[in-house]
Amino acid sequence: MPTLLQKLFSKRAVGNDNGNARDCSTAAEQCWASSEFDLAQIRLIVCQECERRGRQVLFDSKAIHKLDASEPTADETKTPPNRSGACHIGSQASEKEKPPTYQYTRPASDVNMLGEMMFGSVSMSYKGSTLKIHHIRSPPQLMVSKVFSTRFGSSTSGSTNMLQDSFESSQTFPSHTSSIGVCRVPSAPLLCLARSASFFAAHSNPVDMPSRGHSEDGDSGIARSASLSSLLATPLPSPGSSFSSGCASSYQRRWLRSQATSLQHGPMPRWNTEEMFSLSDESCSSNPAMIRRKKIAISIIISLPEREEENHNFQEFFFSHFPLFESHMNKLKTAIERAMIVCRRIAESSQRVQVYLCRVMEALGEFRMTVWNLYMAPLISEPVWLSMISQSTERNLLCQRFLKEMSLLMDHGAKSQFLSALLTAVLTHHLAWVPTVMPSSLPPIKTACQKPASQTVDLLAKSHPYNPLWAQLGDLYGALGSPVRVCRTVVVGCRRELVQRVLYILSYFIRCSDLQEHVQPQGQMENPDNPTNPCSSQTTDPTPEKTFPPKPDPLKPTACVIEKALNPESVPGTSVEQNNDTLLTDTKSTNPSSSLESSTVRLECAEMGQECFGEDSDSVGGGLEHILANQSPLLHRVQFHIGSPRETENEGQAGDLSGAGCGRGLDRKLHQRLLTDIRRNESTDSALGDSDDEETSLQELYMATEQKEYELPLPSYHVESRASVNHFGRSLLGGYCPQYMPDFALHGISSDLRLKQCLMSDLEHTVLHPALDEPVAEALCIVADTDRLSVQVVTSQRRVCEGGRLGRDVMVSNLVHTLITSALQLYALNIASDFCVMHLEDRLQELYFKSRSLAEYLRGQTRVHVKELGLALGIESSDIPLLAAVASTHSPFVAQILL
Amino acid sequence: MNALVALCHFCELHGPRTLFCTEAVHPPSPSPPQPGSAIPGDRDREADREGEGLTMRANSSATQRADMCEGCRSLPASHPGFVSVDSETGIRYLSHQHPRQPQLFSVVRQACVRSLSCEVCPGREGPIFFGDEQHGFVFSHTFFIKDSLARGFQRWYSIVVVAMDRIYLINSWPFLLRHLRQTIQSLQDTALKVFDNEQCVCPQRAVRMNSAFSPAVFPHQRSGNAARSLTSLTQHSNLWASLHSSFSWLLKACGSRLTEKLLEGAPTEDTLVLIERQTEQEEEMSGWDCAEGGGSNPQPSQSESVQPKDFQFDDGRQEDLLGPKFKSLRHLRQVLGANDFRQLAWHVLMGNQVIWRGADPGLIQSAFNVLKALLPVGCVRAVSYSPHYEEAYRCNFLGLSPDVPIPAHVSSSEFSMLVDVLNVERGCVNPVSDDDILSLYQFNISSANTQPTDKGPTLLNKIEVALSNENLSVEVVSLCLLCLKEEWMNKVKVLFKFSKVDGRGKEDTQKVLALLGATGPGEEDNVRLLKFWMTGLSKLYKSHLMTAVRGGERTLTQ
Repeated sequence: MPTLLQKLFSKRAVGNDNGNARDCSTAAEQCWASSEFDLAQIRLIVCQECERRGRQVLFDSKAIHKLDASEPTADETKTPPNRSGACHIGSQASEKEKPPTYQYTRPASDVNMLGEMMFGSVSMSYKGSTLKIHHIRSPPQLMVSKVFSTRFGSSTSGSTNMLQDSFESSQTFPSHTSSIGVCRVPSAPLLCLARSASFFAAHSNPVDMPSRGHSEDGDSGIARSASLSSLLATPLPSPGSSFSSGCASSYQRRWLRSQATSLQHGPMPRWNTEEMFSLSDESCSSNPAMIRRKKIAISIIISLPEREEENHNFQEFFFSHFPLFESHMNKLKTAIERAMIVCRRIAESSQRVQVYLCRVMEALGEFRMTVWNLYMAPLISEPVWLSMISQSTERNLLCQRFLKEMSLLMDHGAKSQFLSALLTAVLTHHLAWVPTVMPSSLPPIKTACQKPASQTVDLLAKSHPYNPLWAQLGDLYGALGSPVRVCRTVVVGCRRELVQRVLYILSYFIRCSDLQEHVQPQGQMENPDNPTNPCSSQTTDPTPEKTFPPKPDPLKPTACVIEKALNPESVPGTSVEQNNDTLLTDTKSTNPSSSLESSTVRLECAEMGQECFGEDSDSVGGGLEHILANQSPLLHRVQFHIGSPRETENEGQAGDLSGAGCGRGLDRKLHQRLLTDIRRNESTDSALGDSDDEETSLQELYMATEQKEYELPLPSYHVESRASVNHFGRSLLGGYCPQYMPDFALHGISSDLRLKQCLMSDLEHTVLHPALDEPVAEALCIVADTDRLSVQVVTSQRRVCEGGRLGRDVMVSNLVHTLITSALQLYALNIASDFCVMHLEDRLQELYFKSRSLAEYLRGQTRVHVKELGLALGIESSDIPLLAAVASTHSPFVAQILL
Repeated sequence: MNALVALCHFCELHGPRTLFCTEAVHPPSPSPPQPGSAIPGDRDREADREGEGLTMRANSSATQRADMCEGCRSLPASHPGFVSVDSETGIRYLSHQHPRQPQLFSVVRQACVRSLSCEVCPGREGPIFFGDEQHGFVFSHTFFIKDSLARGFQRWYSIVVVAMDRIYLINSWPFLLRHLRQTIQSLQDTALKVFDNEQCVCPQRAVRMNSAFSPAVFPHQRSGNAARSLTSLTQHSNLWASLHSSFSWLLKACGSRLTEKLLEGAPTEDTLVLIERQTEQEEEMSGWDCAEGGGSNPQPSQSESVQPKDFQFDDGRQEDLLGPKFKSLRHLRQVLGANDFRQLAWHVLMGNQVIWRGADPGLIQSAFNVLKALLPVGCVRAVSYSPHYEEAYRCNFLGLSPDVPIPAHVSSSEFSMLVDVLNVERGCVNPVSDDDILSLYQFNISSANTQPTDKGPTLLNKIEVALSNENLSVEVVSLCLLCLKEEWMNKVKVLFKFSKVDGRGKEDTQKVLALLGATGPGEEDNVRLLKFWMTGLSKLYKSHLMTAVRGGERTLTQ
């Protein structure tokens, strides 16, 4: 009889029969793919472009064949791993006694065109890395390229020339170099080709990018990152004064992200700008003159499935999971770098080529396998947390299942406190549960006991959009603390059912937000009145273009627009605006109460009001509003001032201020810059010189913002909302997988063999190239072994561990242990399971409150007296790592004190 | 979406040009949790960027102006542009030929040039993504528009979406492609109709084949033809307004394509109770307004319903009162001494009526404020200063003026305690500092209670440890108290569910008490505390548990 768990894990796969009839006999858990994904679908091309020698292909996986007597197929990529099994290429290659021999044959006929796409028809002088994605229609393919400038060592004239020469001397190429199948094209024909393919290009000189060298000075490049700024940020208001809203830390993370990626700040250098392709292992003083000469591009070309639906699915998957793909591409790049450096040390040319090919093929094998695994691996079909928050009707059933599984596991590992240890580790490192228990200070909308959705975050998302997928990825990896750490959990064990049980339980504690997708309904897309169709017959007729209004008062026109937006009556009452109303009357009619609780409530209302309207009573006192108001056009500033009741009285004054004072100051600065810029640019007339500037002067640009634009209504916006499927919450919570995988926030495996091989380098890679797109201080992995009932934490920071073990054992937090025990005992006493889960949440909230006291305690201490903590705060030494980690999500200073 | 959309054109005479650009201007940022967290060095860099943005303009502006043609232009120079305001979010979508924000000018220019003359798209029509950290990231879709007068009978355009958030832009590829294709299709179809019409009237191919080719005349002819604008190619007089609407819609739709459902913790019981009281009070007020014409003040302390208000505005009144005050529990403990404080706190926690009688309402008020922190908000019913005795069911904190007599049934009850605040006899010539309460007053504590107050409850024992440890700041103590209260409130919830909702028997209840850690020394006090605190649960919570009972048939058993 199948266990409940087996049913749970297989539910989705079985239920999904309509549409894709999949064979569920082997894989009980769902996965992305609806059909086979062939490894040969992924192709790698490495190209270089240099001034002297033109464009050269340094690697093309399509042109490489394996010479192996025992394997007649000669190309391992032709034999995709079987569906239920893992893909083992990488490890096999390295385990073999003798490395395989490869033959480099004529490159495919499309490399020329592909090279053109990789580098573009006009090369850029920009020295950072460039990312490109192309869609090739026939045969349907996606190409992702990264173009790097090269960095040489000082000793070698270090280049790929030697490699190139080796290729040629090894005689595997056809000696004729025609326009088809060129591997190395003499520079003259290449130029011709380039020109002919880009006859439309205005110039074929390198396009000179305006350099911003000066602004990069004094900027470590990481200052902009959300996480680092949050580290620098002062902590949230102290609890004595008020309770910040529950979502404060999530809010702050998202807000900083929206600012860090805002267009209104213009482009800004970030932490990984200076990424280069290294052709030497020496940490060399790079010669800037050399750098500009050579570029290396790495392209991954993925053949898309022929069938329309599969094609669509894969593309949706690819684009929503791009950060993961990119991270693995970076890994591939590092391997190619190493291969080039290593092979150069080999004198004999045919051997040199073999070493190079071998290494790159191995890295490619790894890349293919990872992508294959990501796409094909089994997933937890019903992650507890996500299911609970998305389907409230089934809540009771879910709670019951969850508690049942948890008590079974508790009994199983009772002696070794396995579950307590595991949850201690998970709660310490996958920190996204913290915001979900931080008490909300807003009145509940539905019932008291259901967690409310964060309204402030919702409001933020609307007015300052950020990427919810990014936020979710950070949640899953637990990157909420400060400094930012990312964590994954792997459950190892040969008993499938047991591992699945552990995974199921952990899918409650490893949390993330749920995503909803809002798209136009199918029919709507074809509708001629669709807003994306500018030539529909019924397009809105704007104010007739000929009747230009009399030059208006610079302030008035925007004022009326804004007033409309701000007037609560014109916008059918959202709760926020009502709040603001009550707030205003409140503060006037009554004495402000100093009672902690009541002032909190009002404070929140006030904040809500401000957030909505963007009004800030102390706009003069600096802060971001001030900066924004200064740097953006006057329009912005004007808008900012009107809305606030206090400012409307001095409207004229505000106008004077922005129009004259600020404008003039900026103007002067700009003039100076302009002069120097013109002088600087006179000699090196840029290729972009003939730009289209029909507007007259600087002054006009500024004045123009005070014109009244014709106002048009925003087209109505009919969307269908549905649960998003292509998100990390669905894709990174893995099931019982055939093999260890580096991306999953959670997954199970039967053997830790490969885990032991790869984990350390994976963690190091994560720190260097985090998929999260922000700097990461440390990467961790929790390894729970259900056979040995042990829980260890492996970190990127400690290489060596005693006794050849992977990581360190986890100390069981007493608070966590009592928390689980208490919830399970209630369950054992036959109390309704949804109450037990509520109790569990209450107890988690206690952890949060304790972390607040710990943070407050640490604020005033230079030394931590563990005994004092125990007596006064009920915090034992075993709880400190957990509570400190929790505290770092709301009080960044904690990390600094404890370090 | 944190992006802008631009329509670009490769002019046969002037090269790549930006024709029309729609940007989203976000309202001034909502205040971040800490304004201080604004990205450091931002301001300086901003200034740099503005300078840079104008570099390219400056290079070229005046000298190249003559080189403009109709094909390179969208709105006439005098046109103010378009704006659409999203009233819900305050985001303004602005369209002009070029972005208004100078730092974006060069970004868009880059995107335009790269999209039309650097990057290679197979087939020349289709999507590409490109970009880097310095110049921003671009989703570009190139396409042809039919023009009977153009070379090859077509002109080359692109729509670019520029953003700094590389990941989101890539995530949005399928969405953008789907919608931009539609926009492009619509432009192409319209232009094709115009083209076909023009070809009917005057077939250009024939004209060109028949006209003698003369190198001298050729450039001249062509420059005349190159001047056709997109408006003329589509015969759409409101083209730019429509494009503005399309692009604005695209930015909005793409920005809100994905939304997060992010949960936060349920509000604490204290928050819920406060909200309930506020609501009640508002209803009460509006009731009075109706009855009495809105002008009169509610009479204080007369009915239970006023008490929430009383509770809330107590503190405000206190500020008005001069004289010495208790500042914290620790202060109160120092003044009263450990023994008296223990007794007092014990009575407070057990839910007994605590009466303070004295001549200084400010002092009494401050004592209540400090003591109230020991209890959940829902358990606090205070009458801060009254000219006559109020019954225990009305208030557990009662302040009285010195001459008010305490009824006998109260003074003999073990469920009440009295603190008499007596003025110390001394000459009031030299003013004493407010801090020195003991030099002004003497406190007499009396109660008919015979039970020991030194065993429990556990909560009190822990609070005393924290209070007596001078190493802990007042803030730490108050957080510690909060932790303890929440911890015990959670036990209260379980007990409520267990005994009141499910109506379990004694034996089971004992098990739950053990499980909650309420047994052992001080058990009796712990149980009393739990029972008292149960009365402080919010109505919302209680009714939720009651209705959530399986089947909804069970009723209150106790």
